[in-house]
Amino acid sequence: MLNIWRTAYGKLSSKLTRPVLKKFALRSLGTFNFVCATHLFVQHVGWIHLTDGPSMMPTLAHAGEWVLESRLIDPQNLRRGDLAIYISPLDPHRLVCKRVLGLPGDIICVDPTGDTAPSAEHVVVPKGHLWFIGDNAEFSRDSRTYGPVSMGLVRGKLVAKVWPPSAFTVFQNNFNYID
Amino acid sequence: MSRFRPISTLMRAWTKAKDYHPLSRWTLSTLIWLPIGITFTELFFTIRTVSGRSMQPTLNPDSSLSRDVVVFSRIGQLNREDVIALSSPSDQKLIVKRLVALEGDRVKTLPPYPDHEVVIPEGHAWVEGDEPFKSEDSNYFGPVPLGLVDSKLSFIVYPFQRFGPLPTPLPPDINAPRGPEWRSRVADYERQQKRIARVTVAPPKDSE
Repeated sequence: MLNIWRTAYGKLSSKLTRPVLKKFALRSLGTFNFVCATHLFVQHVGWIHLTDGPSMMPTLAHAGEWVLESRLIDPQNLRRGDLAIYISPLDPHRLVCKRVLGLPGDIICVDPTGDTAPSAEHVVVPKGHLWFIGDNAEFSRDSRTYGPVSMGLVRGKLVAKVWPPSAFTVFQNNFNYID
Repeated sequence: MSRFRPISTLMRAWTKAKDYHPLSRWTLSTLIWLPIGITFTELFFTIRTVSGRSMQPTLNPDSSLSRDVVVFSRIGQLNREDVIALSSPSDQKLIVKRLVALEGDRVKTLPPYPDHEVVIPEGHAWVEGDEPFKSEDSNYFGPVPLGLVDSKLSFIVYPFQRFGPLPTPLPPDINAPRGPEWRSRVADYERQQKRIARVTVAPPKDSE
């Protein structure tokens, strides 16, 4: 029994130590490692993404635009008017992009037009939450439907629109206060 | 002037760094494989220490002297009665709770919650701690979006006498000898039955 084991092991090890095979195994493991590193980069640093949907219409087109996204942010540091990316509270597999309207403690009128909620309804954004709204209010499902969004769902922030080149813009915070 | 060759320059820098010191050779050739390890913990399984009393007596019971070490899995579907780790909606801290109800279910709430009954909205879940008084759960902050769920408990590792997946509470055996262990088992079973009785499960979506 031991003898069989020993010969089998000998054959296998001689095969594995054969330089070509060993090199091939090491190469494929290295490629896999590189794929993992890329995945980590996309998840934690940032990448370009294709946008889709009419909810941010004047800022982002309906389809076919690529945006650069940064994940190196702390949701606590988001300001009013920033474009943020978060996991949709209605579907955990969907990432959506909306504009920050309210920070924790702000009093927000849910919908001034009175379409989705009575226009007199006001809410206070709770601790650790943000109020998001789409730029194209009529075709957007945002905080007016699902209420304040927890900062735990926020994943990143839009930095720039990179494609098509004619539409290249760096998103800057253009939030104005009216005295 | 030589041509700019990024890959070969990198490779040369890499060999140079490795040959700098016998110890650096060993550390660097181990660290280079770190992405595989981190990706594994982010996509499949992670190991964590559970602190706090909110899941007593399922986790960190008074009888154990140290904190529980537990393996959490990120694969597979979430079911009612699973123990899950999620980030708290108000301050992003990771908390461990029991998943009581999923979207569409009707739950009878416990005191701090303003309404007597809630229907869980789309994409949300109702989570509660096993210890009803020392737990900040959905009865405080309402239904939580499923996007906040991080992973679900797979099995306990550290206090070795409780190694393995969480036991499902069974109806108590009447003929078994009475004792503290028997009583705690009965209490576990009754707690589970009470929890299940408060939830009206929605019919599955794809039944049409």
